[in-house]
Amino acid sequence: MQYKKAGTEFKLVDAMLVIMMIVPIVLAILMKVLFIPVGEGIEITGAHVYTVLNMPVSDLPISEAQVNSLAVLISILFLCLYMTHGIRAHVYTKRAVLAEWAVEKIEGLVKENMGDYFMGFAPFIGAILLLSAFSSLSSLVGLFAPTSDLNVVAGWAILVFILITYYKLKCGPWYYIKGFMEPIPLMLPMNIIGEIATPVSMTLRHYGNILSGTVISILLASALQAASNLVFGNLPGILGSFPFFRVGIPAVLSIYFDLFSGCLQAFIFSMLTMLYVSTSFPMEEYMRRKSLKEKNN
Amino acid sequence: MQSLDIISINIWQIVVSLLNLVILFFIVKKVLFEPVKKMIAEREAMAQSIITEANETLDQAKEQKTLYDTKIAAAHDEADAIIKKAVARADHRSDVIIENAQEKADGILRQAKIDAELEQKKAEEGIRREIVDLSSVLTKKMLKREINEADHREMIDEFLQDIGEIS
Amino acid sequence: MLEIAIGIMLCGCALGAGIAMIAGIGPGIGEGNAVAKACEAIGRQPESKSAVTSTLIMGCALAETTGLYALVIALLLILLAPGRFVDVLMNAVG
Repeated sequence: MQYKKAGTEFKLVDAMLVIMMIVPIVLAILMKVLFIPVGEGIEITGAHVYTVLNMPVSDLPISEAQVNSLAVLISILFLCLYMTHGIRAHVYTKRAVLAEWAVEKIEGLVKENMGDYFMGFAPFIGAILLLSAFSSLSSLVGLFAPTSDLNVVAGWAILVFILITYYKLKCGPWYYIKGFMEPIPLMLPMNIIGEIATPVSMTLRHYGNILSGTVISILLASALQAASNLVFGNLPGILGSFPFFRVGIPAVLSIYFDLFSGCLQAFIFSMLTMLYVSTSFPMEEYMRRKSLKEKNN
Repeated sequence: MQSLDIISINIWQIVVSLLNLVILFFIVKKVLFEPVKKMIAEREAMAQSIITEANETLDQAKEQKTLYDTKIAAAHDEADAIIKKAVARADHRSDVIIENAQEKADGILRQAKIDAELEQKKAEEGIRREIVDLSSVLTKKMLKREINEADHREMIDEFLQDIGEIS
Repeated sequence: MLEIAIGIMLCGCALGAGIAMIAGIGPGIGEGNAVAKACEAIGRQPESKSAVTSTLIMGCALAETTGLYALVIALLLILLAPGRFVDVLMNAVG
């Protein structure tokens, strides 16, 4: 099998892609550093607002969460381009193997949880996994994690809700409405609340997990600051105000709250998406109707 | 710079993030999944072609093997036949050689016998002559005075003839 | 008078936040039960450890939801509610 060494042009494109992968994140960090003043002490607030666009219904504040999620989006785009750059059948590069592994894993997950009918969902699940995980992990480089903003996660959950409703409506609106009347028509309000609770609970689960990590990190940081001031406050000069305890100790918690919790929530969000969408689709009824329609034709 | 409340709901932000996810779905589909799946399909096709090629080659090899097997069997038979023929010829030749040798030996033996007989006869003749001479000398010496030589010789010859016939 | 009213309001918000976090008991007990059962299951069938573990993490994350609702309510009560309530009070007073 002939093996051609990568040319200069190829390497140049590679380097370009890697740079483009890093640039959005760096820009987001720069924006944060340049435009957001350092707050006094430690405070728990939402995303900072860079500017406000005037829109109908309500204004659109361009906040940190928006900017960061856009940066993450562009970064993922170039990551995907980098992974599949120069992918060929008989060349085994590490990234090609990695891309293939990821694709096969996601497809296996979708196949296992949703069945063969929903195989088209694999890229969607991959997109949710990537966006959620990278958004949560962006707090590792000091950015405001977009997933700790309610609106971002709510957008995803509403998209999932739209998908659920779309698949429920596949058997016609009458069947959809009848689904709310089960097991008895008296359960209608409960069923409607249950229906709405799905996106709400998905949103709050993801958002709450990431936010609780942030809040606990902030509380720990302020506690450590206080402890540090208490112990080393009498030292002269800058040594007195330097928070020694804040070095290293929050990193241990960060492993759980940023790394583990972020990845886990991404996984759980995609898992729930798969489960909700696949269980909302009345497969047997749909197949029955389809076969009936074919018979009539 | 103001900041949002920790829980704030804004419809446009939700729409933007929803669109972000939709866009990322298309990005992931076009950029990550399709090339990888294309690559996998390509590789499968390649593997399939290699497998079919290998199968064909295997079939050919099997065919050739059977061909060679039959050929080798034929060659074995031929070799056997050749060896048999050679053995037969060698046997025949050795027989002929042995026969010739036997004949020669017989001839030599016969010749030797004839020679020996001839020699014997010669010797007998010689001995007889000597005996005749001896006896004639003896008798001459003994009967010198009684009988003449001619009579004696005649008598002794007669006697000797008898001896020769007896012997 | 106004100060006392605001004080009662803040006190109520803080108390409410604390009481809301009692909901943390629920997921705590539930997750504890889930982990105990998972340990039993792994003890019975050690070969199914990976499947049990992934299901357990999934279930724990689901059970955590109620606790997170409580957390969100508590955060609302601490960070958001006092300002709103003070506004309402000011409007009422005029």
